[in-house]
Amino acid sequence: MQLNGSEIIAECLLEQGVDTVFGYPGGAVLNIYDALYKYSDRITHILSSHEQGAAHAADGYARTTGKCGVVIATSGPGATNLVTGIATAYMDSIPMVAITGNVSNDLLARDSFQEVDICGITLPVTKHNFIVKNVKDLANVIRKAFRIAMSGRKGPVLIDIPKDVTAAVCEYTKEIPEKIENPLLSEPSDFAAAAKAVNSAKRPMIYMGGGVVSADAEKQLLEFAEKTDCPVATSIMGLGGFPSSHRLFIGTIGMHGGYETGKATDNCDLIVTVGARFSDRVAGDRKKFAKDAVIIQLDIDKAEINKNVRIDYSLVGDLKDTLKKLTESVEKADHSEWTAMLSEWAKKSGVTETPKSDKYAHPYHVIDIVRSLTKDDDIIVTDVGQHQMWVSQRYSFEKPRRWCTSGGLGTMGYGMGAAVGAAVAAPDKKVVLFTGDGSFHMNLNELATVCSYDLNITIVVLNNTVLGMVRQWQKLFYGSRFSQTDPHRKTNFAAVAEAFGVKGMRINNDDDAENVLREAISFAGPVVVDCSVSPDENVLPMIPPGKTVDDMITEME
Amino acid sequence: MENKQIIGILAHNHPGVLLRITSLISRRGFNIDSLTASPSGIEGYSRLTVRISGDDDQVEQFINQMLKIVDIKKAEVLPDDSSVAMELILIKVNADQKNKNDIISLTSTYHASLVNLGSKSLTFRASGTPDQIDTLITSLRPYGILEMARTGIASLETGDNCLTI
Repeated sequence: MQLNGSEIIAECLLEQGVDTVFGYPGGAVLNIYDALYKYSDRITHILSSHEQGAAHAADGYARTTGKCGVVIATSGPGATNLVTGIATAYMDSIPMVAITGNVSNDLLARDSFQEVDICGITLPVTKHNFIVKNVKDLANVIRKAFRIAMSGRKGPVLIDIPKDVTAAVCEYTKEIPEKIENPLLSEPSDFAAAAKAVNSAKRPMIYMGGGVVSADAEKQLLEFAEKTDCPVATSIMGLGGFPSSHRLFIGTIGMHGGYETGKATDNCDLIVTVGARFSDRVAGDRKKFAKDAVIIQLDIDKAEINKNVRIDYSLVGDLKDTLKKLTESVEKADHSEWTAMLSEWAKKSGVTETPKSDKYAHPYHVIDIVRSLTKDDDIIVTDVGQHQMWVSQRYSFEKPRRWCTSGGLGTMGYGMGAAVGAAVAAPDKKVVLFTGDGSFHMNLNELATVCSYDLNITIVVLNNTVLGMVRQWQKLFYGSRFSQTDPHRKTNFAAVAEAFGVKGMRINNDDDAENVLREAISFAGPVVVDCSVSPDENVLPMIPPGKTVDDMITEME
Repeated sequence: MENKQIIGILAHNHPGVLLRITSLISRRGFNIDSLTASPSGIEGYSRLTVRISGDDDQVEQFINQMLKIVDIKKAEVLPDDSSVAMELILIKVNADQKNKNDIISLTSTYHASLVNLGSKSLTFRASGTPDQIDTLITSLRPYGILEMARTGIASLETGDNCLTI
């Protein structure tokens, strides 16, 4: 059938099972938006306030559903506004297809109005990108883009389409996408060798990451952990990939991980790394990381092997396959002595119980109350900063794909867009966005989106009036010279919310917290809760950058 | 152990593929001293030859990262002891009536051939291993090198092994 480029885009999205896209219209995508108008019965378009919000929404949608997120923006500034969102997805291996319009072929390379080389700009933050100069190539490029985004280690792909291509007509034939099979690159002998190492370990542990969630391998991980009786620590990207209430779960690992996970890492004799990449925020001093341990790494990306830390045994392939094969190859084990030792450390790490205050609400109290008011299926989103770490430490995640956070890029302003994406993906679930006043100020424009679509999001602003995480580093490492981190802005977020047409509430102190949160979360629609938190609250414990658990800071004034 | 390794790469000759490769090299901080690109003899594919300095881990990481570029189909080490690596140089040297003949006889020992005779200069062409080319340059330096252009390294594995798709 003869279709124009824009209709081909819509048809190809439908081929891929896409029913929801995020975006913002503009001159170069007028034809695409005209097609979206025509296809509006089959493709829902969510309009953001800013293209960055749309990109984060596509990301939050992808994290929540496991499907590929799709975002559309116009040329020039529309495209550049996507970049932070694309880079965020890239760092966390989130599948996304970004479609940008560009000026027509005859205007390309002439510095035309709203022209930008978005392929050049996004080259280092995409798995791949395309510019489609001929409508005949369009359908296959879109199919290839989805395939790249969803295969192997997932990630964002950008397709840049000049305006004339979106209008040009050509023959289109529907195709059914082939199932993606990720090849197993390791040999049976590799599994045998790794299994032997696991079997001979006395003090093994698992260090898991976002790969477990990305591969939907939580069941396989659980089976492996239970069979080997192996304690499980996670990067913050892996939260939800293993139930926090499980007896083998010991918490997050790294800069703000628990004392027991740090001690476990230092004292274990074997680490099985599953879908994680030894980032500096986890490994600290990568030369000293788990220095006495044999390290096994399971990953889909061969380039992660020996990238940051030297690996003894690697198993490369889809985690569902590699975990299953490794589980079959290992003997059932009992490490009760070792797990008892970990319990002792956990006691020493002493979860700090904080007294109630009538001046502020304590972040831990707020998080605990939210946990008690939400179900395991509800979705938690964060921005970036102290609040993000508090939530990662405190909120106990039981299921995968209920957690959206910018782990790799650490994008302040991520949360609003991501919460929109999560709420659109899961309209029957409550979405709670924890944010800080710093992060919220960055992209609170998306309150307009939240209001327009009446999304079921509770936004909890842990408002300490300072840029807390950076301020904490200044306190520790820069002699308390609080350069530009003490803005003490007067923004009344509850009033801001009301101005956008969103319900606004306020928590003044620990006494208010429960009642206000109960009302906010039971409200079926968007609410902003402006929650007053002490500017001097710190994220502890903390391993300073490039250090080990021996240097852990457990107290600050 | 820090050493130099030559990597042979086969890539789709799509626009921008060289940019993807150089961008990755720069972003990941790989240390390279030669990069050449040319048709591979396989329809639709270019052959690139890169010489990288680094330890074994860095070379492994380089290859693994290269293979993540969608347009790259093959990236392999061409081992020193079973590969031939050559490059070509054009080099223009200061020369006057007095030393002209000395220079010509010196360069002939490096199998360099005279391609142009200027009024105050001589231009030679030579091909050989990178070491041979380096030696030629060193020996001509005392006369004053006016300009030179090296092609960078081309390399093939010896014997019947081929880099192919």
